[in-house]
Amino acid sequence: MTSRRTFLRAGGVLAAAAATQGCADVFAWQRGTSHDSATPFGSPVGREIDRISHSISRLSYGARPGDWDRVRALGATEDQAIARYIDEQLQFDKRDESANRAVRRLEAIAEPLGELYEYSPAVLHEQLCVSSLLRAVHGERQLHEIMVAFWADHFNIDSSKGDCRWLTPAFNRAVLHPHALGRFPELLRAVVLSPGMLWYLDGRVNRRGSASERPNENYARELLELHTLGVRGGYTQYDVMETARALTGWTVRSKHASFMGIGRVAFDAALHDDGAKRVLGRDIPPGGGASDVDALLRIVTGQWRCATFIATKLCRRFIDESPSPQSIDAVSRTFAATGGDINASLRTLFDTAEFRTVRASRLKRPFHFIVSALRAVDAQTDDAQPITRWLERMGHVPFQFPTPDGYPDNAASWTGTLQWRWQFATALAENGVQGTRVARDDLRRRAGGDDGLLAHLFGRTATMHERAAADASGDMLALALASPAFQRY
Amino acid sequence: MRSPHDDQPHRAHRSLELAPTLYATSERDDARALVVIFLRGGADGLALIPPIDDDAYHTARPTIGIASRDAIRLDDRFGLHPRLAPLQPLFAAGQLGVVHAVGSDDSTRSHFEAQDHMEQGGTTAGGWLGRFLRARDASAPGALSAVAIGTELPQSLRGAPSAAVVRNLDDFSIGVERPQMRQAIAALYANEQGTLGSLLADASRDTVRALERSAAMQRESARPANGAEYPADEFGRGLADIARLIKGRVGLSVATIDLGGWDSHFTQGSVIEPLMDRLARGLAAFHTDLGASRMAQTTVVVMTEFGRRVAENASRGTDHGRGSVMLTLGAGAAGGRVRADWRGLASGLLEGPGDVPVTTDFRDVLAPILHLHGAPALSSVFPGRVSAATHG
Repeated sequence: MTSRRTFLRAGGVLAAAAATQGCADVFAWQRGTSHDSATPFGSPVGREIDRISHSISRLSYGARPGDWDRVRALGATEDQAIARYIDEQLQFDKRDESANRAVRRLEAIAEPLGELYEYSPAVLHEQLCVSSLLRAVHGERQLHEIMVAFWADHFNIDSSKGDCRWLTPAFNRAVLHPHALGRFPELLRAVVLSPGMLWYLDGRVNRRGSASERPNENYARELLELHTLGVRGGYTQYDVMETARALTGWTVRSKHASFMGIGRVAFDAALHDDGAKRVLGRDIPPGGGASDVDALLRIVTGQWRCATFIATKLCRRFIDESPSPQSIDAVSRTFAATGGDINASLRTLFDTAEFRTVRASRLKRPFHFIVSALRAVDAQTDDAQPITRWLERMGHVPFQFPTPDGYPDNAASWTGTLQWRWQFATALAENGVQGTRVARDDLRRRAGGDDGLLAHLFGRTATMHERAAADASGDMLALALASPAFQRY
Repeated sequence: MRSPHDDQPHRAHRSLELAPTLYATSERDDARALVVIFLRGGADGLALIPPIDDDAYHTARPTIGIASRDAIRLDDRFGLHPRLAPLQPLFAAGQLGVVHAVGSDDSTRSHFEAQDHMEQGGTTAGGWLGRFLRARDASAPGALSAVAIGTELPQSLRGAPSAAVVRNLDDFSIGVERPQMRQAIAALYANEQGTLGSLLADASRDTVRALERSAAMQRESARPANGAEYPADEFGRGLADIARLIKGRVGLSVATIDLGGWDSHFTQGSVIEPLMDRLARGLAAFHTDLGASRMAQTTVVVMTEFGRRVAENASRGTDHGRGSVMLTLGAGAAGGRVRADWRGLASGLLEGPGDVPVTTDFRDVLAPILHLHGAPALSSVFPGRVSAATHG
């Protein structure tokens, strides 16, 4: 055991070094082609954040130089431009070449399921973090990336538990990515039958091979409490036990048992409790076997409580920490009427009066803050690993939250990170983040001067107070990135 | 958007906090600090705290055993290795506690597996200190609430709300250095309004105060207090830095530091005796440096992933075993005694290939300490272990 781990860890160092070298290559393309460093860009004018900036700040990880111009130009009127921007993000039908290019050298996490086990967990985790960062910074399908992160919290798994050390990359790419803007029941089914979640919440050992074996209720409880209905979501302990019975028999082939098909999920009828079940007042007839899971998920996702639970979380992410009952109701109705269509639910959300009128009411979490800062200044990153160190300090490394409820999405949980945000802002502006470069003089010139640059960063004209602080600080860019306005979205 | 009237209670609350007496109570630093020293490599509990009256011990270790006359007697069963002599006064004063035959239920005898298992605190995901900090600080943990001395975040701190890896405090710039930048930032945050704005304004004020305290600490002489003398090595300097953070009142709740090199398969004495010397002098200096009042709010825990085989091997070393010792110092130490469910070292009483059986789970030692340090529900730190936890 020791020697194998030691070997893989040693191998890991080499692989990490290779990955780092690869990154230098990845970004070569950006310097010449993307947002060239001469093109001027426009910024909004006005005391309040304008609707274009608001839409960009909610549907993306923040405006890059030029984004405001591009979105405004999508339509003749502001309304039309925003509608087309929402369409573009909800129905992104091209391949996201920018994102793919940014992560193409991260080869370990792209390996087929069984071969992930050939890598050291440290390498896989590092590549997964770097990949999440780079896709969020460079991807064009921004709303999709945001929803991947949203579901990564909703269906949290921690890559340090058991075989999750190897299975998390597969969970990310095969479960979260394909379904992020799809249909919730399909996303949920993919989660329930994923090797990552079967490991993380012990579903793989939930079995009833004999009358004396009691099902493992761990996943059943979280399925109801965290994944679909919410705590106090109208289910009882009896429902948890019946849900656990319906989920018995799903196994993951372990690396100890076999060299073939490691990590593959299979249904073992001999370990399944095939009797009749009753969940939330609905019957699952006996003899269903592997189809019990589908009957179960139909019952659970068909609950009104499931619609309101998901709608509330979506409204919280995109509108306000305490969204209005009207917004939640509107999104819940669409969710229920469309059979859990995430895309349609978001369209309804973006159309609520509350979404259109609210401004900068939410605190960016550390990942969001860092990504938005890198985007705002058109940072060029040759090596993203030093940036993951900043995420570590702020306690927001992807796939590293220990408990199944995922990173908290309320402002109070994150205010202790201010000091690190200020330090990152200063370091980024002063070109002190290792592996990352900001062409700050070009940026200022392209923005048409200080006023334009501040308006780009804030989505509105800076206040007198902000201008005064910027002048007093000695470094306007650092101050703006550290400012309260830039912590909000 | 909320109406400005919603902000009235927050405003009133904040202006109250500016009154000098209440000002202090709003500080995040509750002054309780937990310091975890991990002895990596599997430290030999039978050398650190030898069972000097057990004949089986001397039989199994004819050349490397600690003779009864060389050890410093702690009680009617155990002694202290002579190289740990600086710890004797602390034990006598009830400041230092020893737990013997302690360990985890991981029986792989693999360093990596056992360390991961112990630092995760069982098979639950994340680290036990990370879960502790999350459970304790339901909202707004301080920016310097957790500090790892070293170059990488230990597994135990995985999932912490905020964790800084610091190699050396003097190289580490706490906060934004330029005063005009600090003032400009503070001015903007103080001007924030609304629900989120009030939250940011409060957090900014707390942060600025922590920064000022740590800046003052940086300016002060790094000289330890009360004539404490740390060993002049990286471990000693790390402990001194932790003491500075505690004395600087920057809001430190948890600090971790490693002392590695305990894997004594070969000529054990030459490998671990220098380490014991550094450990004992470091702990004694730390205790002196902090002084009685700060020690009353600080607990130090010394732990290792496993102990060594009872019988020495042919190269005067010992191989990977099971039970070892934990040391506890300060507030949560339960000091002045050796706690052990000790069954002796006769061959029939040993585990597996001849190892000290683990009769105390390390989590049961940590649980009351975490409780003292403010963990609201131990079930969230060590799921499934709460029943065994005693609060004393």
